[in-house]
Amino acid sequence: MIKHHPKFELLKSFVEGDLPASLAAGVAIHADFCSICQQHIDLLTEQVAEMSFEQQATDKLFIDDQRQSYPPASAHLDDMIAQITASDALASTQRTAAPVTMSFKGTQYQLPNALRNMSLGKIAQIGKLSRARVQLDEGKIHTSLLHIAAGGSIPEHTHKGFELTLLLAGSFADAAGEYVPGDFIMLDQRHQHQPATEAGCLCYTVVNDALHFTQGINKMLNPIGSFIY
Amino acid sequence: MLAMDSRLLSRQSAVRSSSMTNEINHSQLCQWLNAIALDRDKAAFTALFRFFAPKIHAIAYGKLNSEALASEVVQDTMSKVWRKAHLFDDSKGAVTTWVYTIMRNVTFDFLRKMKANKEDNLSDDIWPLAEPLSSEEESFKDHLQNRNLQGVLATLPESQQQVVKGFYFLEMSQEQLATHLNLPLGTIKSRLRLALGKLKTKLGENND
Repeated sequence: MIKHHPKFELLKSFVEGDLPASLAAGVAIHADFCSICQQHIDLLTEQVAEMSFEQQATDKLFIDDQRQSYPPASAHLDDMIAQITASDALASTQRTAAPVTMSFKGTQYQLPNALRNMSLGKIAQIGKLSRARVQLDEGKIHTSLLHIAAGGSIPEHTHKGFELTLLLAGSFADAAGEYVPGDFIMLDQRHQHQPATEAGCLCYTVVNDALHFTQGINKMLNPIGSFIY
Repeated sequence: MLAMDSRLLSRQSAVRSSSMTNEINHSQLCQWLNAIALDRDKAAFTALFRFFAPKIHAIAYGKLNSEALASEVVQDTMSKVWRKAHLFDDSKGAVTTWVYTIMRNVTFDFLRKMKANKEDNLSDDIWPLAEPLSSEEESFKDHLQNRNLQGVLATLPESQQQVVKGFYFLEMSQEQLATHLNLPLGTIKSRLRLALGKLKTKLGENND
């Protein structure tokens, strides 16, 4: 059972369209796994929509004389309406794009729909770790698909920013317990963890600063930190 | 045409007076959108445009901080409303939620264009617009075994089922249905046409 969910604030920002694409996609993928969060999102969307389109909320600025103060000018609005309605073309009813798959260490994975139009980098490997960048160009925020082969682990580490790990397939465990696909694990710099997988797993990760390895000899692994980040 | 204009005026004043109480007249919005879907009704679109455009403009301006871009968001959002009206399903949620989703997605793609300089239009993958066909088609597959009208009928939204059953099985007139269900005649007519359109597609698919 999924035990880790996005916090309410995150769901709200998601609904309002205020999250970067990386995190918005993370929430969307989680909601595909989690009907409870999907229901929360649907309800929130309904409420936010209602509030957005209530007259008083936004019309105050324009209500005195809508025609004059709602930019652009009224004649322009009529043009816009005429232009829009001049075309009788209907949008197609089907989203036909085929699911995107990607193969890590010989295993084929179907990727979530939210990633369908994102460009993916080539797979890079260090030992049991394979990583494909999701090329979103969001500055310090780096997004990846991270595959850990059976028996692999990530040395104990901490990070300066946040780290979202969203399990897409397989399972892994850390000191806090076992995780299943759909689990949405958001950690910040207060946490340290050392995820390990027995059977292998594929994760969607969003990190906004380099990982920092904390244990003795592993400090020498800090280049891996930048690999994962 | 005159009749249409005066009807439109009364519709608009209905919406405006509801603003005094700060409530949205959802059934009115729904009628407009259905009129666009069924009749490509430009007057209904104009009414819907005048309701949503100022609000969309204000919200988009708040996020994009540019008159020109906010205006583009209005244009893009309302174009999609015009082109996708037939995909709206009133049993799945309010018009406000549907338009909000379109506006939020358009704005998100604009913001990404500005911030990441990417024109990848990811929003419709992240927030798919509730498109009744995809889920209905899935439930429709279950009905392929019992190839009868009842089975296909059951895939329609409840509101449309009522009307189709009343009209065809109970042989009630549209006027009787309107009285019986306490709905405007126009709503009965549009639901019936919407339902028949869907039934036609589905029974057609059955025969392939």
